[in-house]
Amino acid sequence: MKRRADAVIIGGGVSGCGLAYCLAKRGFKDVVVLEREYLASGATGRCGGGIRQQWSTEENTKLAMESVRLFGQLDEELEYETEFEQGGYLILAYTDQEVEQYKKNVAMQQKLGLDVRFIDPKEAREIAPHLNTEGVLCATYCPSDGSANPFYVTQAYAEAAKCLGVQIELYTPVTNIEKRGGRIASVVTSRGKIETPLIVNAAGGDSVSLAKMVGVELPIVPTRHEIMVTEQVEPFFTTMVISFKHGVYFRQEKRGGILMGYGDPDERPGFDITSSMKFLRTMSRKILNLMPALHRVKVVRQWGGLYDTTPDALPILGPVDGVEGFIQINGFSGHGFMLAPKVVDLLAQLITGEELDLPIDRLHMDRFLTGEISRDLSVV
Amino acid sequence: MAEIRLTEHPILQFKRGRKISFTFNGKKLDGHEGETVAAALHAAGVTTYRRSPQLHRPRGFFCAIGKCSSCLMTVDGVPNVRICITPLREGMKVCSPKGKGQLPEDDPATIWTWPGQYVDKILETEVAIIGAGPAGLSAAVETTRMGAETVVFDENDGIGGQLIKQTHMFFGSKEQHAKVRGIDIVPLLLEQIDDSRAQIMLEATAIGLYADKTLGVVRRQELFGLRAQKIIMASGASENMLAFEHCDLPGVYGAGAVQTLMNVYGLIPGRRVLMVGAGNIGLIVSYQLLQAGVEVVEVIEAAPYIGGYHVHAAKIRRAGVPIHTCHTITKASGQEKVEGAVVAQVDSHWQPIPNTQRELAVDVICLAVGLSPTAELLFQAGCQSCYIPELGGHVAVHDENLETTVKGIYVAGDASGIEEASTAMLEGRLAGLCAAESLGKKAISERKEEILSQLKELRTGPFGEKARKGKEMMRQEACRYGL
Repeated sequence: MKRRADAVIIGGGVSGCGLAYCLAKRGFKDVVVLEREYLASGATGRCGGGIRQQWSTEENTKLAMESVRLFGQLDEELEYETEFEQGGYLILAYTDQEVEQYKKNVAMQQKLGLDVRFIDPKEAREIAPHLNTEGVLCATYCPSDGSANPFYVTQAYAEAAKCLGVQIELYTPVTNIEKRGGRIASVVTSRGKIETPLIVNAAGGDSVSLAKMVGVELPIVPTRHEIMVTEQVEPFFTTMVISFKHGVYFRQEKRGGILMGYGDPDERPGFDITSSMKFLRTMSRKILNLMPALHRVKVVRQWGGLYDTTPDALPILGPVDGVEGFIQINGFSGHGFMLAPKVVDLLAQLITGEELDLPIDRLHMDRFLTGEISRDLSVV
Repeated sequence: MAEIRLTEHPILQFKRGRKISFTFNGKKLDGHEGETVAAALHAAGVTTYRRSPQLHRPRGFFCAIGKCSSCLMTVDGVPNVRICITPLREGMKVCSPKGKGQLPEDDPATIWTWPGQYVDKILETEVAIIGAGPAGLSAAVETTRMGAETVVFDENDGIGGQLIKQTHMFFGSKEQHAKVRGIDIVPLLLEQIDDSRAQIMLEATAIGLYADKTLGVVRRQELFGLRAQKIIMASGASENMLAFEHCDLPGVYGAGAVQTLMNVYGLIPGRRVLMVGAGNIGLIVSYQLLQAGVEVVEVIEAAPYIGGYHVHAAKIRRAGVPIHTCHTITKASGQEKVEGAVVAQVDSHWQPIPNTQRELAVDVICLAVGLSPTAELLFQAGCQSCYIPELGGHVAVHDENLETTVKGIYVAGDASGIEEASTAMLEGRLAGLCAAESLGKKAISERKEEILSQLKELRTGPFGEKARKGKEMMRQEACRYGL
């Protein structure tokens, strides 16, 4: 392992590996990525793999739209089959309040050039056969939304970064970060110390404890989020279906398994990512309400991962006040994978001193101090 | 040519249930009550059930005990049914899936009323035992004897696990059922279980095990929870596959599958068998094939020595079956099913030696190349795992009392590391005893000592070497985790 580097990225998920690649591509190659376990072993590899552009805030929508554009180029650029597919996202509205909110969202999204539209329940059932549309007033549908394989995307970035000279150290947890005179000086790992002027905190739910090492308090609450997947059946729909009313999302994977998750409002903050019976039961009940035909399909696997949730469900990007050379790329609140391609591109621009092609000032950490936050409402 | 259904057998008598009919891809076939769908299809001469979704290769069963997914079919509209453990019922519609399984059509009558309230049901018990095989039943003997309320469940429709197909006489001492056939041990174990404390649930599959010792169980399409103070995982093992050309052809069967067909359902697997593996299972199943009147062409073994007991090897050699060590299979031939096999000698690096290939005319290739512990649920519950080849691969770290790194979750039998039925029964008893003891039930310390000494005895000698080594490595792992 290197003893000094121009930058050390902590976290071998999609953000860490993607950023390493984007930096190296710009000639900033003396980079080490530190991963506590294996690539995508944290939130990235545990996420649902969905890629959505339908958000209620402009920040997220713009980031997501740019990410989708970049996802479309990834396979060719990284020479890797990442299973990116644009199967669409269907968001169901059950109440007048939801309809009103979605009208605002769609107007904003369309203004930004997104191919999103309102559809009636009948069309929703054509897009997602077997869907129970009882009580559905309407839905928003964006055909260019989609999904990709989080493991493959991470691996693709990592391998491309390695080809350009980045070093990726697996099974190397960080034990301390050292400052000197208000600046980042080095990072201490289980396998020794690396001197560096720049540390990127891409550690998902663990970003909080890393930041604490240099006296920075991140307003991130790690919270378990569970997912389960069924056995494979012949593919019959390609779209991700979301019901914010039920707090549920689900899609059929390319190989046929139906993957589903819901946000449990009773989930307490913490680092526990074990599976629970409660999730199996509640998820089963919810999905059987939304797609009753699935009652004949068996669950084969369930797992948990961490959301790194911020008060406004938007990420924390860029430097922090008080510690020079400490860059944040965390707080994605469950949407890090889908936003990654554009976010890592922007952070690489920021680190190499380029002019940013999309402003991220409003995603700076100090928004929580000034209190100028507006929450993204489209969160499961 | 001999019938597929055996009518005469030196040890077994087959009492077949009443004749019932079912359809396979629309064609009417007959089977017997008490058979699985797969057994009935095999008896009707159907070996290819479906096509693989991508390459459209023929698929039949492989393990026949519900562990692999080779036999998945659409049954009465339900996709992906393991027909090897699904009891045949009158009028069943068995269909090959088009590609992967398909969802049933929405039924307007029931569509919006699903699910029922039972999804919320959570049962409680003192001890839950997963698996009603030799280890699980033995565990229940001890837990009920010590007064612990016990639920045993198994995904099969009968108890006994793999014992129900073991027609050979056991070795060991009287306590270990020496000179008793495996098939006759099941009623002996059942007799010792205190009915007033035990509930046995069949056709019940554990699909989730959580750190709070709650189990998710599916029984006949119904999901419920079972919260137990102690859990004993006695889920057995799955048959290992071997990679060779066309190893997916119907007619390549696991040794357990061949035993199941012959000894449970009285069906011969084929006419001419190549046995791959000369461990105890390969040797015993070869002998059982001979007993059923099936020709065993030869037994091959990649290692330079015979792994099983020489008494078993001698029996089949006397019957004229050659055993070739330093041999492996390189290819199965045939379009729709096995029609032949190519075997070759291997060098000291297990590589086939050129120009030693021989072609054999066989219609069954029986793989007896070891087992892997079924321990996935333990890992889901957060039990630490380790990899010990001597125990069959990934196993849950456990202490001398068979308790895993999650307090109150125990593992016994093949699930704790591959051995055989005698040690499985002893381990089951040990786990049952320790689980009940930790519930505060009055323990009998002599009994525990007795079980431990019997286990030690079974693992002595050259044939116990592998298990001894494996268990020693486990002891070291347990120390690492502070057990």
